[in-house]
Amino acid sequence: MTRPFKLLTFAAFLLAATTALADAQDSTIGIRFENHHFTPQTLTVPAGQRLAIKVENASNETIEFESFKLNREVAMTPGQTITVHLPALSPGSYDFYDDFHQDVPEGAIVAK
Amino acid sequence: MISKRPVRVAAVAILAALLAIQVVAVERTNPPSKGVFEAPPEIEATLRRACYDCHSNQTRWPWYSHVAPVSWLIARDVNLGRKEINFSEWGSYYPATRRRKLKWMGRALGEERMPPWSYRLMHPGARLTEADREALERWIESELKPPSAETSSK
Repeated sequence: MTRPFKLLTFAAFLLAATTALADAQDSTIGIRFENHHFTPQTLTVPAGQRLAIKVENASNETIEFESFKLNREVAMTPGQTITVHLPALSPGSYDFYDDFHQDVPEGAIVAK
Repeated sequence: MISKRPVRVAAVAILAALLAIQVVAVERTNPPSKGVFEAPPEIEATLRRACYDCHSNQTRWPWYSHVAPVSWLIARDVNLGRKEINFSEWGSYYPATRRRKLKWMGRALGEERMPPWSYRLMHPGARLTEADREALERWIESELKPPSAETSSK
């Protein structure tokens, strides 16, 4: 194996290991979008702990999972599932919504 | 000697593919406005110059928006841009939606994410000066001010 190839393999391994570790450390919660609303609408999570939110768009329309407070906006096609990684949250309520459909009720992540 | 035949074949194939994809229809629409957007004239002028192509129903479709595959990218950007914020539908937004959109606008301006570099490249006139940004930020701030604060200051 040549030296650059070895280095590249090592870098790829390191990246995969770091990602896996980050995923393992984050507690994961799930949100599903269907029939024009998010379920659950309110999620209570521990404050001061990193978080991964798995968002599933189970509807047949393109939506945008968005939260100004969390500084996240992701457009999602029908059937798409995404994972949003969040840093440790301070106690408080963080609203989220579908920015493409203003009549969809807002949801909230409550960090306690 | 290297044969030029494969290069010629590849060039003809690319040309044929480019011609073939031109038949894929792309929707370039400018639907009617829903409600009135009200802002001071200088703010409206800045928004028209820098934002309206993607964030309104008054898109100026350039000649290259008729040529695939660029047309696909432009149509996708306009479609997404209108969903994000559409000044031609401003009047139909709920007050809470307007506030959200204004906040994101302020953030995008602060981080100099808008207008995107790819758009500025093709539309040098869309570049925002420091004075433009400041004026837009002041306008956003005034729009986000709760009505009670406005009343009490009078």
